[in-house]
Amino acid sequence: MNIVRLGVIALCGAVLMGCAVGNKYSYETANVALPFTGEGEIGVAVVDNRSYVLDGSKDASFVGVQRAALGNAWSVTTESGKPLTEAMATPLERGLSKSGFAVTPLAIGSPADVQAGVAAGGKDKNVVLTVNDWQTDIYMKLTLAYDLLLQIVSGDGETLAENSMRGDEVIGGTGFETQNSENSAAAYETKIGRLFNSDEIKAALLD
Amino acid sequence: MTNCLRAVWLITVLLFLSGCVSTSLTADVDPEVDLSSLQTFYVAKYSGDKRGTGEKIVEGLQAMGKEASFGVDQQPEEPVDVVVQYRDKWMWDITMYMLELNIELRDGQTNYKFASGQSNRTSLARRSAQEMIREVLDKIFGVETAAGEDQ
Repeated sequence: MNIVRLGVIALCGAVLMGCAVGNKYSYETANVALPFTGEGEIGVAVVDNRSYVLDGSKDASFVGVQRAALGNAWSVTTESGKPLTEAMATPLERGLSKSGFAVTPLAIGSPADVQAGVAAGGKDKNVVLTVNDWQTDIYMKLTLAYDLLLQIVSGDGETLAENSMRGDEVIGGTGFETQNSENSAAAYETKIGRLFNSDEIKAALLD
Repeated sequence: MTNCLRAVWLITVLLFLSGCVSTSLTADVDPEVDLSSLQTFYVAKYSGDKRGTGEKIVEGLQAMGKEASFGVDQQPEEPVDVVVQYRDKWMWDITMYMLELNIELRDGQTNYKFASGQSNRTSLARRSAQEMIREVLDKIFGVETAAGEDQ
């Protein structure tokens, strides 16, 4: 009977944890591409402004949750273990470079530090992406809650243009870790490209 | 203890079965882009495609009246309006079936991804590759057909 009990406990453990524990997603591989080409030097920063990271309840590498069979949530983190904003900055910088810009990465810790960060090492024009929310949630579907702000900031910290988007939407079905990672990165590609596809943003970057 | 075991067994069976009939069909299209104006498409072979999915996407686009070609290079030799990228994921359950298909439409000049669509069908909701391609393309292009009516 002890064996049966152990079996039941093991089964319950498997159902509770399933494939949900220890998942990691890669955003570094995202193929970000802009809807225009340009030239010149620009600074680039991705700023983490997620409330659950700022208050310390989640690590900066947190990207969402994966739910096990009974709905219990397990944290998903970046594959590299680096903060999500660092993982997001890599493909953003790559995309801007492919579009013809000479990119200088900027280290900006919070939205309040944008002016100082730009003044310290920025260029005449700087791309600042503020991540107010970004987390995937996987149970029966893959959903994404996001709140992004893209700003073009001048060398003296003035906002020349901005575009934002927020939502909570289904971006796919459930799959294995690799699929979920690819789908999450694909959603990032889409959202970033869409933020740049704004007349105001284009004018501020290209004029 | 017997009742407890039965309950655990029932819950387990229900959980596993519910996972067998999950479907998802989504599309995300930039409203600034007029899809009807796009006529020439190049489908770039996905490195993991072992089942001719790329060629079937070409057929699906041609059935929609588009001019479409296929190649192993990620960029076409001749300029096109759209470069199509895709990822297909197959699983085995008695027979092989397409679990998931992602299709992305990128600008032929800038590589900007202006539209994407995805279908995910687990084993008991499986459909042929052609039907999944059709429902994803219909979802992207906003075509109302019977292909996705069980969503």
